[in-house]
Amino acid sequence: MRHPMAARPPRHPTERKEKSHIGGMDLTFLVLVLTLLFIGLIMLFSASYVYAYYNDGGDSFHYITRQLLFAAVGVVMMLVVSRIDYHILQKFAFLLLIGTLFLLVLVLFYHTRANARRWIPIIGASFTFQPSELAKFTIVVLFAHMISTNYEKMKNPKYGLWPFVTVMGMIAFLMLLEPHLSGTILIVSIGLVMMFVGGTSIRWFVGGGVLLAAAIVVAVLIPGVITYAQGRLINWIDPFADPQGGGYQTIQSLYAIGSGGLLGVGLGNSRQKHLYLPEPQNDFIFAVVCEELGFVGATIIILIFVLLLWRGFVIAMRSRDRFGSMLAVGLSTQVGVQTILNIAVVSNTIPNTGISLPFFSYGGTALVMLLAQMGVILSVSRQTLLGKE
Amino acid sequence: MKYRMIVVLLGMVLVGFVVVLHQLFVLQIVEGEEWQSEALDHQLRSQEIAPKRGVIYDTNMTPLARSATVYTVCISPAEILTGSNSEEKKQEVSDTLRTMLGVDPALVEQKMKNTGSFYERVKTKVEKPEADALMEFVSENNVKGIFLEEDTRRYYPYGNFAATVLGFTNNDNVGAYGLESYYNNVLAGTPGRSVSMRNSVGVTMPLEYDETYPAQDGNSLVLTLDEKIQHYLEKNLETAVNEHRVSNRATGIVMNVKTGAILAMASKPDFDPNDPYTIFSETKREELEALNTVEQKEQYQTAKQQAQYAQWRNPAVSDPYEPGSVFKIITASGALESGAVDHNTGFYCPGYKEVAGRIQRCWVYGQKGIGHGQQNIADAIRNSCNPAFIEIGQRMGAKVFYENFSNFGLTEGTGIDLPGEAGSIYYTDKNMGLAELSSSSFGQTFKVTPIQLITACCAAVNGGKLMQPYIVQQIIDSEGNVVSSTEPVVKRQVISEAVSKDMCEMLEAVVTEGSGSAARVPGYRIGGKTGTSEKIDKYEQERKENPNAQMKYVLSFFGFAPVDDPEIACLVLLDEADVPNPYGSTVAAPVVGAVLADVLPYVGIEPQYTEEELENVATTTPLLLDKDIHEAESILRIAGLKYQIVGEGTTVVKQVPGYQEPLPKDGRVVIYTEEFTDEQMVEVPNVVGMTVAQANQTLVDQYSLNISVSGTGLEGSSGRAVSQNPVAGTKVAPGTIVAVEFQDPNLAG
Repeated sequence: MRHPMAARPPRHPTERKEKSHIGGMDLTFLVLVLTLLFIGLIMLFSASYVYAYYNDGGDSFHYITRQLLFAAVGVVMMLVVSRIDYHILQKFAFLLLIGTLFLLVLVLFYHTRANARRWIPIIGASFTFQPSELAKFTIVVLFAHMISTNYEKMKNPKYGLWPFVTVMGMIAFLMLLEPHLSGTILIVSIGLVMMFVGGTSIRWFVGGGVLLAAAIVVAVLIPGVITYAQGRLINWIDPFADPQGGGYQTIQSLYAIGSGGLLGVGLGNSRQKHLYLPEPQNDFIFAVVCEELGFVGATIIILIFVLLLWRGFVIAMRSRDRFGSMLAVGLSTQVGVQTILNIAVVSNTIPNTGISLPFFSYGGTALVMLLAQMGVILSVSRQTLLGKE
Repeated sequence: MKYRMIVVLLGMVLVGFVVVLHQLFVLQIVEGEEWQSEALDHQLRSQEIAPKRGVIYDTNMTPLARSATVYTVCISPAEILTGSNSEEKKQEVSDTLRTMLGVDPALVEQKMKNTGSFYERVKTKVEKPEADALMEFVSENNVKGIFLEEDTRRYYPYGNFAATVLGFTNNDNVGAYGLESYYNNVLAGTPGRSVSMRNSVGVTMPLEYDETYPAQDGNSLVLTLDEKIQHYLEKNLETAVNEHRVSNRATGIVMNVKTGAILAMASKPDFDPNDPYTIFSETKREELEALNTVEQKEQYQTAKQQAQYAQWRNPAVSDPYEPGSVFKIITASGALESGAVDHNTGFYCPGYKEVAGRIQRCWVYGQKGIGHGQQNIADAIRNSCNPAFIEIGQRMGAKVFYENFSNFGLTEGTGIDLPGEAGSIYYTDKNMGLAELSSSSFGQTFKVTPIQLITACCAAVNGGKLMQPYIVQQIIDSEGNVVSSTEPVVKRQVISEAVSKDMCEMLEAVVTEGSGSAARVPGYRIGGKTGTSEKIDKYEQERKENPNAQMKYVLSFFGFAPVDDPEIACLVLLDEADVPNPYGSTVAAPVVGAVLADVLPYVGIEPQYTEEELENVATTTPLLLDKDIHEAESILRIAGLKYQIVGEGTTVVKQVPGYQEPLPKDGRVVIYTEEFTDEQMVEVPNVVGMTVAQANQTLVDQYSLNISVSGTGLEGSSGRAVSQNPVAGTKVAPGTIVAVEFQDPNLAG
């Protein structure tokens, strides 16, 4: 099975071409992705049908039918992308950055919701596009490209620090204008992980950490600087301070998780999804998972995420070149960090910030993008140094 | 690069996943139960299912008090105020409640302040049609957060009827007064509970979590009280209150002599248990309204509360009074039983008697200036002679007197199944001096309740058996099964049957030839005793403040029938009647007579007229003008005449036929208590051509006229009316005599 695109000459002639293997993709990774997608769809249906019944004119299948459709499109996209040589992305790296920055500016002109300008309407208000979703992908592709080109000079801040900081700074600045704090945190996390893996000197991370700590202290000491986040911090420390307001969602989530106990109340039997938990099909879907499947079920799902992350890194390590390797690291990290942040929010480990759970949360474009990105990892897995075991 | 990848991977797994897993472990395993119970607290709604309160039936299963389902309208602020459009939802709820039920928006606003509450009552006792309309509106317009809770409401179909006996229930369906209170545990039943899981807008979740513990409906009471007898008693008491301007209350009890069962018990004025907080007496209400000003707010409140307590009170069991001469029944019984006197013992009444340096006058002395002279005990009872009874009491002595008093159950409550029974106030043999003994013997200086007195008097005429009075015959469950039944209980034999028989006869003489004659009912052997008791304690109290204060009286009468085998007894007392000559004989006896005249035929005791009674039927109309209703009725009854009362007044203003006008056989006297109007005039029908029987039926029964017949052909059915006067079409007052002439065509031919 040879892909016509794979016939192009390798970028690094020093690598042993004869041992490189172009062919089958990593089936373990594929199975893990499909498993999570499968569980995710079941849980989406379970979590959403009551909410859908009450909010979408009695149609309990409102969310699941749409999500199934996007999942099908996404899986097809994933398989198609997996067959495209990922190196084509290198050509588009800077174009992606320019496009992303343009869209991030453009989105500021759309007041789709009262407090945030995160979506660009494509077909009315029901089908929207979130530029920050694209920004995540852009960061991964661009950083992978930058690292693979300048790998030898990464210790030099001129190549290994400032270009990265500049790109992240621009994107983060625009996203904070929306404002989209959770997306910003996610992108900065992915960027930092890629810089770290790519070889940026450790001392810059130490320095950056010290600066960040100082910034936080200043922000906390000067009230009003982060009003946007301050309320969330209070609701995080004590959600019961405002049980009908800011703390409501968190409290309902904790009720759901706590009610699950060891083995859960059983699939489909969540009580909290009965209009107590706001929008249970979105960011707080994992609370319903915990309630219905219990600690055991939640642990198994987390383990599958860990396996996916591990497999993504294995693919990265086995990658034929640095660009593929960094793509796999970046995309896997994106899934991992997003999952951790989501569960941490749902369980009130960190303050509430809107962040969805990959493969589970409702959202068509996000799911298609996610699966396409998984396709990129699979594409990377097809070009490895070692043969498949 | 691989090294750093492993660091990142391990970092994410260890710092990220392990931390969140630990957090989940804490929430689900360590604190799981706490979170779960807190979650259940707001997911589960427990609703009380109100049991249906039992019915109170009269002895013939006529419902006197029953419950119907009503609803409590509740809102759930926690559900209404959740979500983004809470202000809108709140407004919607407020508007719905205002338009559908007229609920003040301010009240809704106040209830909404309990933001965390799922249950706030907005309106109670909403009738089913209203509640149904509300819920239809709510579901059609998808209004969130309004729900209903079942409740019951008590209905008393007869209004102010037997009110002091039945009592009423408060807003929480708990018996507050009367039988409703005494038998609250029996009537109330046990509430049920339904626990169900609700979503945040209060709709039951389709999960198998519903648990319902059905309510156990209350048991019902079947009273010994008879609605008809109660009606007779109340009607007569009400008339008495009006005609004699009774300023305290008129109280009456009708008792089954043989069993002690209460057949009727009432006090007028009373109240409407459907609306117990409104003052029922019009005069009292007006008095109160006069007080209702801004400055006297507090006084008004106090006065209103006092008036409420007063109308709810059941004086028949709760208010001891000095029984006066009625008590002579008890003294005489004890004196004969103990042998202190016998039928041959003579008592001389010079019109007064000196006791411990004080002159006690006999009532007759005040009227005629002389005494009763020489009497035996029967004469003394018939004359209601105080000096004779002072002597009887003194012959008994304090010890015997007190023993007798106590044997008749007057030192303890009767134990009747009604709340608030008061005890009596009396001298014991230890602290009873000669003066107290003397006054006690004719029923003064001590106080007993009406129920104690009638129970004791019944024992005196019931072969000496003191019965346990009771008012609940049976308790039945909601399916009609008998739970328990009351059997008559003989408390003890107080006097011998022989003495009791003597008492009956002596008391019959009181009615046939003594002071109780106004209680006579032709065809029945009635016995009884009058009572005119001075309210000495009140008088002395008032004298301290006002030297011109007048003595107030309780006028009473105890009557029973038939004398040869007593079955029905009736005690009536009028507390503070405003009449020129306050005597039980003239004021209370006619009331008892009227009650007995109604009750005796109703309970199936057939009248047996004596020769004398049949012969003595009056042929002319007696003088009735200006007399009180009860007195006029008594005169007509004793004269053996039929009568009809027109109007709602209390005094006779017109009588047809007039005084001393001849009244035909089977004629009917019509007495008017109000100025009669043209509308009440009747048009004389044409009876020419009718037989005697037909003419009689038409004129008397259909038109309330009287007929006097003349001519031939009066016997048999051959005679036909040939003329009438007044002629057909003339407007006359009811009761007018129409003279009809008959002729037998056979004889004429």
